[in-house]
Amino acid sequence: MQDIPSSTLLVLVPLLPLVGAILTVALGRTLGSRAHVPAIVGIAASAAVAVTLLFGMVRQVAVGNSAAQQGQQVQPVEMVTTLWEWADIPNAQAAGGTTAASFLIPVALRLDPLTATLLVIITCVGLLVAIYSIGYMHGDPGYPRFFALFSMFVFSMTMLVAASNFLLVYVFWEAVGACSYLLIGFWFTKPEAAKAAKKAFLVNRVGDFGLAVATFLLWMTYGTLNFHDTVLSDGTAVPGILGVTRLADASGYVGGAVGSAICLLLLLAACGKSAQLPLHVWLPDAMEGPTPASALIHAATMVTAGIYLIARSGPLFVACPGALTLVSIVGATTALIAALIGTVQNDLKRVLAYSTISQLGYMFASLGTGTLLGFSAAIFHLVTHAFFKALLFLGAGSVMHSMGGVIDMRRFGGLRRVMPVTAVTFLVGSLALAGVAPFAGFFSKDEILASLHSRGWPDTHGEHQEAVPAGGHAMTAGSFRLVSVTPDASRLAGGDRGSRLDALNQPATWRLLFWMSLVTAGLTAFYTFRAVFMTFTGPTRVPEQAGHHAHGAAGSAAHESPPVMTIPLVILAVASAVSGWWLFSTHGLATFLAATPSFTAPSIASTATPPVFHWDLAIQGTLAAAAGIVVAALGHLGKRSDGPQMERFLGPLETLFANRFYFDQIYAGLIVKPLEFVATLAALIDRYLIDGTVDLVARLPLALGGLVRHLQSGLVQRYALAGVIGMLLIVLALVARAMG
Amino acid sequence: MNATSLETFSLLAPEIVLVLAALVAYLGGAFAGLRFGWLVAAAGIVAAMAVTRGQAADPVFSAGVTVDAFSGFIRWTVLALGLLLCLVQSGDLFVSAVSRGPGLHRGGTCEEAGTFLLLLAGLSLVGVAGDLVLLFAGLELVSIPTYILLGLKRTDARGQEASLKYFFLSLVASAIFLYALVCLYGLGGSTDLQAIAVRLQAEAATSRTVQVLLPLAIGMAIVGAAFRLAAVPMHFYAPDVYEGTSPGNAALLSTLPKVAGIVILARLIALVGPSTSPELFWRVAVVLAAVTMTVGNVMALWQGNLRRLLACSSIAHAGYLLVGIAVAAAAAVPPAAADNRSSWIFAAGGLSATLFYLTTYALATIGLFGAIAYLGHRWPEWSSGSGPRPPREEITTVDDLDGLSSTNPVAAFALAVFLLSLAGIPPLPGFWGKLSLAISTLEVDWNTPITLGSRRCWFVGLAVVLVLNAAIAAAYYLRIIAAMYFKTTKRGVQADGGLAGGLAMLACLALVGMVTIQPRGLFTAASRAGESIIPQAAASTATASETTVSDIPGPTATTP
Repeated sequence: MQDIPSSTLLVLVPLLPLVGAILTVALGRTLGSRAHVPAIVGIAASAAVAVTLLFGMVRQVAVGNSAAQQGQQVQPVEMVTTLWEWADIPNAQAAGGTTAASFLIPVALRLDPLTATLLVIITCVGLLVAIYSIGYMHGDPGYPRFFALFSMFVFSMTMLVAASNFLLVYVFWEAVGACSYLLIGFWFTKPEAAKAAKKAFLVNRVGDFGLAVATFLLWMTYGTLNFHDTVLSDGTAVPGILGVTRLADASGYVGGAVGSAICLLLLLAACGKSAQLPLHVWLPDAMEGPTPASALIHAATMVTAGIYLIARSGPLFVACPGALTLVSIVGATTALIAALIGTVQNDLKRVLAYSTISQLGYMFASLGTGTLLGFSAAIFHLVTHAFFKALLFLGAGSVMHSMGGVIDMRRFGGLRRVMPVTAVTFLVGSLALAGVAPFAGFFSKDEILASLHSRGWPDTHGEHQEAVPAGGHAMTAGSFRLVSVTPDASRLAGGDRGSRLDALNQPATWRLLFWMSLVTAGLTAFYTFRAVFMTFTGPTRVPEQAGHHAHGAAGSAAHESPPVMTIPLVILAVASAVSGWWLFSTHGLATFLAATPSFTAPSIASTATPPVFHWDLAIQGTLAAAAGIVVAALGHLGKRSDGPQMERFLGPLETLFANRFYFDQIYAGLIVKPLEFVATLAALIDRYLIDGTVDLVARLPLALGGLVRHLQSGLVQRYALAGVIGMLLIVLALVARAMG
Repeated sequence: MNATSLETFSLLAPEIVLVLAALVAYLGGAFAGLRFGWLVAAAGIVAAMAVTRGQAADPVFSAGVTVDAFSGFIRWTVLALGLLLCLVQSGDLFVSAVSRGPGLHRGGTCEEAGTFLLLLAGLSLVGVAGDLVLLFAGLELVSIPTYILLGLKRTDARGQEASLKYFFLSLVASAIFLYALVCLYGLGGSTDLQAIAVRLQAEAATSRTVQVLLPLAIGMAIVGAAFRLAAVPMHFYAPDVYEGTSPGNAALLSTLPKVAGIVILARLIALVGPSTSPELFWRVAVVLAAVTMTVGNVMALWQGNLRRLLACSSIAHAGYLLVGIAVAAAAAVPPAAADNRSSWIFAAGGLSATLFYLTTYALATIGLFGAIAYLGHRWPEWSSGSGPRPPREEITTVDDLDGLSSTNPVAAFALAVFLLSLAGIPPLPGFWGKLSLAISTLEVDWNTPITLGSRRCWFVGLAVVLVLNAAIAAAYYLRIIAAMYFKTTKRGVQADGGLAGGLAMLACLALVGMVTIQPRGLFTAASRAGESIIPQAAASTATASETTVSDIPGPTATTP
């Protein structure tokens, strides 16, 4: 670590994929079928650097923790590298010591345990998916374009999690959105793909709007957008929003109405990006993109940006218990509803898409607890989910590849004989997703359930959870001067509007959320194994489209995917199998994450609990999973299962689920149709009223400005005259004022 | 402080180098090839840059010459823009050199290069002038070469019309400005700006003559500067002249005179600001800024002719530039409150914002005209002797750019970047410029409530007008981009205007890119320049680290 400064390494992580993307764009046509080389080399190097950084960070945290044994407080570990000051517009009044703040936006990257963890996940999963794509995208006319976009996405995503201020986060929030848009619409000649891309774009706009407004409010409230503490050029020190100075101050965060508004807007942003209710509708449609893109962007990384944002802003949320509770409510509700919808989907990728929404909902539910356990459990689940969901998507892609593009589970079956590697790895991923011990999902889900349980039944955990402070007010202590808490903000901080939302924060709420999550666990196991049974068991059936992919295999046209695709599957399967157990048994991840500055805020750090394995919860979770698997086996194992049993079993509910709770229809009725009406109206107004007015305005100079038009007539003497008249007017005004 | 005449010469070394280079170009033109002149020009500019770099950083005053951060900023701007303009100008020449033949009847372009160097020298002199005579001489050294360049470039009827129009109107403006200088001389009893300022402040409160004549002088000086800026009420010439001249000349006209106009106004603020009488100065500037940007943008909205459109846009940008001037003017009036120091700081803020904006505007504009020069066709008269006369296909209308993104993606991209920057789309330089202008207006009387008719109200209103105008302007800039990217080409736009124009375009693109990702460097330079020209109240306090014009007493000294 000392050989090359970690700041250089940190810059390399996003830089290498960026270089890869640029090279792919520049040389794409020349490279042809080798267009993946720059992207893969760039991402691989970036992954190596990220792993190095992670080890360095682990060592640093360990040193910090051993030092903290005496002080009994986890020391925050962060490293901020400021590349350059992007915007630097000093404010004269700020220098004078009044209220306005200087507009200073550094291009600063940060490294802390949270960022280091996510960087490794993004680059490593990204690398495996990129390698897989060599096989999957082989022969596609857009081959170079795919790798350019893919590399660009890895760059944007690493920047998003490494950026150290809200404006940069916003920039790369948009950048990953743009990459996602372009990859969903990768096959833009397909109308569904173009439509899905448009839908994802528009729905995400709602969330992005939330982030933009939240950024404005943060600026107004805290006078900076930086996460870290900054020293201005004139020597003024500004405590960052998530910097150690403010974190150390128990009352550093604004609660009340302003604080809640910021948190709710951030939640809105997170809901858009992470496909949570009510903005989840874009993700299932996003499956129109190439499967590797779905695996990386719409399962493993980009959709977890919302989790990252809320985890990073944890101290802001903890100051607003109502908003925090809402995070959990949104998450648990989304988890349940998405799981219900997932039970009746027949499209393998859509099952996985709803599963992703559902699992992200788990993470939200966990974040909303506001405890250290909740935050680390969410990130833990994020990590394991990245492995097993990427694995499942790549497995689904392998099936789709082999079936000639068919992804409807009713049209194939018994594929375990045709594609043994895919079948086994898919099964491992399913076990992990279903939460079967000892696979990864079991441990992370257990922690999430434990975090919810600890809020619902605080007494049984021997830990009083009401350490969460009420809305704080402006911080004043220390050598740092609070640059700006606007008068309005501090006045409203103690207002009652924020606390109305706080009424949600009841043990009863948390108990309900816990039960919802437990039911979801059962449903997860059910839909996962329904998919496994439908796809891989029973008599072998292959759709005729698979014939296009025949390589002369006798009898069956379908075949196992090439090694370049199966090897990533195997690696991910191993990770899905062991990562949960490894990370849990060592309790490494939780201890490591606890040193993230955001989680060292007293309001969060004080909720730390000793690492315990909750046998009772593990048994409940396992029972739920087992029940789900058994029901799935009863319904779908061994025989062809085209869904009638489901309909009989669920009755009218099946219609509700199959129609996805009518979300699309409700939005169509409530938002799209009225907007179309407004648009039509606007078009009419535009055509008749506006155009008429514009024509009128266009004629206005003619009608009104006889003088002006004559002056602009090209006659030089008139120009001179106009100038002199203008001068006389100015002079007369000045002299008249001076005399009078 | 006071230097010998030899030292004065050394202070003026960059200008002297430019004039010497001009002489070389003039004389060498008789012996050497056509392209030689522009090489001399470029070399001369680079040499002047080297000399400027070698000069001491400390502010020096000598015999009417002021060398400080402000004049340094102006010098660097002039030389850098000069180098870019050199490319755009010689872009035309490159074609003429290629198609040299019996049809070529124009005089050698070495004269143009020499004249251009003289123009730069004049502009640089305006930047350092601390004396009325030197200021006026510098301005005329800008104007006269401009007439010549306009006349030399195009010999057709439109070109002659353009140059004559510019000539007559420039004379009127110069005359008006000269009257203003006469008044100032009469009031101040000296041609030295510092001496005039001292005298004005001493007599402002008591002398009725000063109270009446000073506003007269200010009004006429503003109008004189308005012509250089192409601001209301002296903006009428711009569309006609831009349309009738070469892209290189249009680029020159839309940038260099604006530098002169800003210098005049900045010096004027420093000169008369501390005197109490011209409280209306900032009001006039606010009104002129608002009217100019609105007139420019509204006129541009209806233009289909690209040159006229850019001329209107140039008028609108003059309005934006005046915003910072208005802020500086408002701040230069000692406010009733005793908080003089912060008042001066925000005066500098307005001026810095204007200087920053000027640079970003000039880069984008020169890039635009460079691209237009690059995309243009040869002029008919150049090849009239050799075979059939080719159709005249200069880029004149917006429609000529239809579908450029497919025929010339690089040029289309560059044009799009320049246009978006002019429109003020983040994160391009134009956005940072408009942002700093808007912030500077909001800083005026920051702590006072907005009441109707108060100074704060005027400036908040100005900020609103600025933002509305930016929205209006986006309409016509985006229309050009839409034409390039969404329309199909009717005929291939051939990039036949010479490589140099393309090089200027790329250079501007690179500079625009640099300012986009790192606006801080330019902003720091602009801030330093802005601070140095405004006589700081701090001259009498301990914090005067940047004090340059310290001979002019600050407003604290005005109270008798």
